[in-house]
Amino acid sequence: MMVPVRCFTCGKVIGGIYPTYLKRVQMGEEPKAVLNDLGLKRYCCRRMIVAHADLVDEVIPLG
Amino acid sequence: MDLKIIDMSDRHGKFVISGIRPDMANAIRRCLMTEVPKMAIENVEFHLGSIRDEEGNEYESVSPLFNEIISHRLGLVPVPTDPTLYTYKDECVCDGEGCPSCTIIYSLNKRGPGDVYSGDLEPLGGPELRVKDELIPIVRLGPGQAILAYVYAELGTAKRHVKWQVTSGTNYRYYPTVNIDLDKCEGDRACIEACPRDVLKDLDGKVAVDDLEACILCRSCEEACDVGAITVSGDDTKFLFEFETDGSLTAHQALDKALEILEQEYEEFRESVSAMETA
Ligand SMILES: [Zn+2]
Ligand SMILES: [Zn+2]
Repeated sequence: MMVPVRCFTCGKVIGGIYPTYLKRVQMGEEPKAVLNDLGLKRYCCRRMIVAHADLVDEVIPLG
Repeated sequence: MDLKIIDMSDRHGKFVISGIRPDMANAIRRCLMTEVPKMAIENVEFHLGSIRDEEGNEYESVSPLFNEIISHRLGLVPVPTDPTLYTYKDECVCDGEGCPSCTIIYSLNKRGPGDVYSGDLEPLGGPELRVKDELIPIVRLGPGQAILAYVYAELGTAKRHVKWQVTSGTNYRYYPTVNIDLDKCEGDRACIEACPRDVLKDLDGKVAVDDLEACILCRSCEEACDVGAITVSGDDTKFLFEFETDGSLTAHQALDKALEILEQEYEEFRESVSAMETA
């Protein structure tokens, strides 16, 4: 579904980072470097971005 | 008590505080996490039925997510808060009706297809009320879908819900002391390589401390040293304190408020104790 707004574990706001992360990784940057650059220090926040599957498009026709 | 600020920027605070005890450091930490009030979205009024745009096109007020989930996602968006301005809704002069000193109102009006972002929240009031993180995705609307809602933010603390939590990653640790016995040290670099935080460095064939404050007291270097030339210990009167804020308050404002609340709570406690003595 949509990216969570905050990290489940620590509560840091990570929703706004996802679109930027996606764009930069698709441009060919190293995911690790992008996560570091975006200030995700803890692995709880990193997994929120890395492990996310964007599935809203599957649900839109059912709305 | 001595304070050394390492960083106190918009969303990150890091400092060294010495001459206190672990329980005092913990009181500051807990106060920062659960007692600092901020504004967060609590009520969302959705327009139901069809929505028309300026050109007369008709949209349905439906979206791929349930309204409850959209409200929850809106609630987690950090709302900029002036810590001196707002009061709790139930303690306000308006008796919980909602007025400018206890409520911030936003309007959300977006038509599909496309993403609704936190930046689409239009404040009814000054531009200083605009959400700072403008790129948080809320929902994705399909063609013919639209959202029209009035969104109300109010003051609260994280004791009620995490959406009112100002800080994240709030932590402190004992200030590290790394002792290297240069007479025993054989300079085989085993400890330098064992350290996960790159605290140690090679200095003319001997080991030296490079970045002491990065040390997390893991003692990997002690284990790696066969001759026992290196010892690591923590100082329980000196603390490395670090926290992040979600942007609704600056790190300085959050810390200020936490200390103010801590002081006020002890003052109330002292008053009730002295009232007990006279009774
Ligand atoms: Zn996290
Ligand atoms: Zn009011």
